Amino acid sequence: MTDQARKRYQIRIMLAIAIYVVVLLGVWPLAKSTADAWLKALYALAPVPPILYVIWLMAQRVLASDELEQRTHLVGLGVAAAAASVFGIVSGFLAAANVLEPDAAAAALIWVFPLMIVAYSIGQLVSARRYGTTPCIEEGMPLALRFLYVVVLFAGLAAYLYYRKHNLDAASTALGMAVGVGVCAVGFSIWRHLRKRSSQQ
Amino acid sequence: MKNRVRELREKREWSQGELGERLAVSRQTVNAIETGKYDPSLPLAFKIGKLFGQRIEALFEFDEETR
Repeated sequence: MTDQARKRYQIRIMLAIAIYVVVLLGVWPLAKSTADAWLKALYALAPVPPILYVIWLMAQRVLASDELEQRTHLVGLGVAAAAASVFGIVSGFLAAANVLEPDAAAAALIWVFPLMIVAYSIGQLVSARRYGTTPCIEEGMPLALRFLYVVVLFAGLAAYLYYRKHNLDAASTALGMAVGVGVCAVGFSIWRHLRKRSSQQ
Repeated sequence: MKNRVRELREKREWSQGELGERLAVSRQTVNAIETGKYDPSLPLAFKIGKLFGQRIEALFEFDEETR
């Protein structure tokens, strides 16, 4: 994959995620206040197309990879599948034993895809390191810029929930996510810097 | 597995990126092969051999210690 194609891929992913957040905030809440079953289902599933587009982009990316990159993608996929399975089993058992409220158990399913993406990236990163290569998350657009994008997205979400919806709990969660991603980004940058320095010595 | 990919590439004054383009793989994959961190598949090994006009056995040497 050329640098140009890589940048194009990352911009498309970022756009799809932005659309997902907008739909999640603007369209999905309408499902709760709509009586018509079809319209309710339509609003409830509105955030799915951007996610399907992201999955399609990722598949194209893997298909365009060479044999070594495909191997690291396979490890990432394996780690993601394991993480999603563990998450599913744990939340399923907790819900079956009524430890988790049915609403909470249903809401937990929304986190399966983000969890898979994070686990996939970690798996691919570890695998790529083994071969002395750079994982795809470190290529193309600067990583700091992409982290900043996620932080801004969560901070925007927190502001929307606080000022428009007056939902302090949800706004606090979104703000916590923004801070969490920011802290992870700083920690990751420090780790990369130290690793680079030790490899130069 | 030990190999002579770097030696042959440098003889032709190609960069890792250039070799990668000729083999339709990334520069990083070329680097992983040259440093012995990754053993290429048989089709890719044949492709490398064909590109350098060498037999596979002349390019790659099985290293018992790294197994």
